[in-house]
Amino acid sequence: MIKSFASEYIFRRAYSVLQCTRFSTASQPITESKLQSFRSEENDPLKHTLDHVGQFYRIPEEEKNIFLYGGLPKSFEIQAKTFNETCLMIRRPSVDVINCLKLIDYTKPTVRFVIFGKKGSGKSLCLAHILHYAHKARYLIVHVPWVGNWMRRCKEISSSETREGYIDLNIDAAAWLVHFKSQNEHLLNNPEFQISQDYVWSKRETTPKGSPLSELVDHGVNRLKYASECVVGLAEEIKHLSRSGHCKTLVAIDGFNAFFYPHTRVFKEKKEVVPPNKVTLTEAFLSLTKFDWNNAAIVTTVDEIAIAEQDHKSHLPRYLLRKEGFEHMDPFIPIFVDNYSPKEFTSCMDYYRERKWVRYYPQQNEELALLSVNNPYNLMHLCASL
Amino acid sequence: MAAIRTFVKNCQIINRNCAVLSPLVQKHGMSQYPSYYIEPVHKKEMQEDLIKSGEIQKLAHLPTKAARNDQSSSFRQDDLVNLFINYVMRNGEKVLARGLVEKAFENIKRIQLEKYHKCDDEEKKAKIELAPRVIFHQAVENCKPILALTPIKRGGVRYQVPVPITPKRSQFLSMKWLIEAAKEKDATMRFHYQLALELIDAANNKGRVVKRKQDLHKQCEANRAYAHYRWS
Repeated sequence: MIKSFASEYIFRRAYSVLQCTRFSTASQPITESKLQSFRSEENDPLKHTLDHVGQFYRIPEEEKNIFLYGGLPKSFEIQAKTFNETCLMIRRPSVDVINCLKLIDYTKPTVRFVIFGKKGSGKSLCLAHILHYAHKARYLIVHVPWVGNWMRRCKEISSSETREGYIDLNIDAAAWLVHFKSQNEHLLNNPEFQISQDYVWSKRETTPKGSPLSELVDHGVNRLKYASECVVGLAEEIKHLSRSGHCKTLVAIDGFNAFFYPHTRVFKEKKEVVPPNKVTLTEAFLSLTKFDWNNAAIVTTVDEIAIAEQDHKSHLPRYLLRKEGFEHMDPFIPIFVDNYSPKEFTSCMDYYRERKWVRYYPQQNEELALLSVNNPYNLMHLCASL
Repeated sequence: MAAIRTFVKNCQIINRNCAVLSPLVQKHGMSQYPSYYIEPVHKKEMQEDLIKSGEIQKLAHLPTKAARNDQSSSFRQDDLVNLFINYVMRNGEKVLARGLVEKAFENIKRIQLEKYHKCDDEEKKAKIELAPRVIFHQAVENCKPILALTPIKRGGVRYQVPVPITPKRSQFLSMKWLIEAAKEKDATMRFHYQLALELIDAANNKGRVVKRKQDLHKQCEANRAYAHYRWS
């Protein structure tokens, strides 16, 4: 407690000195340490604590590869390209989840987290921070970047051969397998990761028991026809591997409520709407989010943007998950992501000014705080044209 | 008695301002306001200037027009930018026009920051302008023509005569040309991106709009001989 008080005091002093130097008429050389009060020296998410809340940390280039096929919102990626660096703000909800992940008893059934909040409050980036931590802590990552891409913008449809009345999303499933492979490259080389049962795809194609997990993934990538079934099989194998203690898993799903929203934009021939429970991919991830396995943690986000605009009525989990989703996820730990606190807001504005994105004018912070309601997304939009 | 005196005094103030405002009235003939209403003063510095010079005594008791939706006392307020947004606007779609200009400013920032981060030389880095509004002002300034050609009929022949233009007309032409240049683009290109490119080029004294101004000036120079037709 004393430590956090001291660091806040130092932060306030540094900030007030910074403000003074801005208004001073004498040209003083501003030293590095004073300018970087909004930046954290700790770039390792394993060591982030509540003391670091409000500061920005930089994701090194090598570790940015986990987001190669998705995970960071598009507007954030454009911003990272413009600023020449990928910096995330350390915020309280993600630090809370990371602390929980460090303290969970992994012999007990899986713990489920549901991150919720208003539009634009920072849920996806919170998940990105947790993902970075999981990558550093060598978890096996099962990450769905955005379920809305499957339910509302699917690339291709085909009816499933093995399941009656089900729809396969071939290209999306294969793309996800590529994403899974790229995120867990260093772990899939492990010879212990073996399949526990035979997978017979057709008369001539089988993936035998005991072959490495990467073979199952490769099969799905090469043969689009069987990609969705591969994903379902992969989900079962991962659960088996975690139960037997070979690996610790983190399941991270952004926009989880899209799996329960009946009015998708997945259309069969004759423009019939396909509900999510008739899509093969849904089954894989619903089985992964159950609590019938251990040695894993499940972090999901529920977002209004994942469903149709006419139903953007509430941001709360019970409304977004609907009856089936809530019963599936119950019991879960709800994590609320709020708009910026005054300290976080100041930190964000300092960062924008340091990156030369926004030019200072008097009373800028107060004006933008009122206009944006401290909402991160609104602030980003307002600062875009400044 | 006292009431009549203040009424007469007010009438005199109104009459005094009437003379000042009558050219304005002729310009804004469709205004719903009576002629003696004054424009509001938003910026705090301008209000303080009025207080210092004592002008505020004359204006304080005059009825004032309501503030328009795009006017505020914020520092983000820029009269030239508002005027530009109005010129971009079509069919009264102010929200779209404002969005386009704001996106153009965002694109300017992104393009300039890319150049800034790529540049290694410290001196060159310091010279790269990163504020979109500064670039916008510079661009408008660089594209202002000094002379224009008007058709004047003498002896059955129409001659293109070089003629000086007022600063307001010059500013209008500059902004109009910038918008026209941004519209001349590929179908796949976005208007706000093309506008950003045009503004950056114009601020650096290159690009299509500055060329158009220079071509006009060359034409005026070529038609120097007809200049006296203005008065004959």
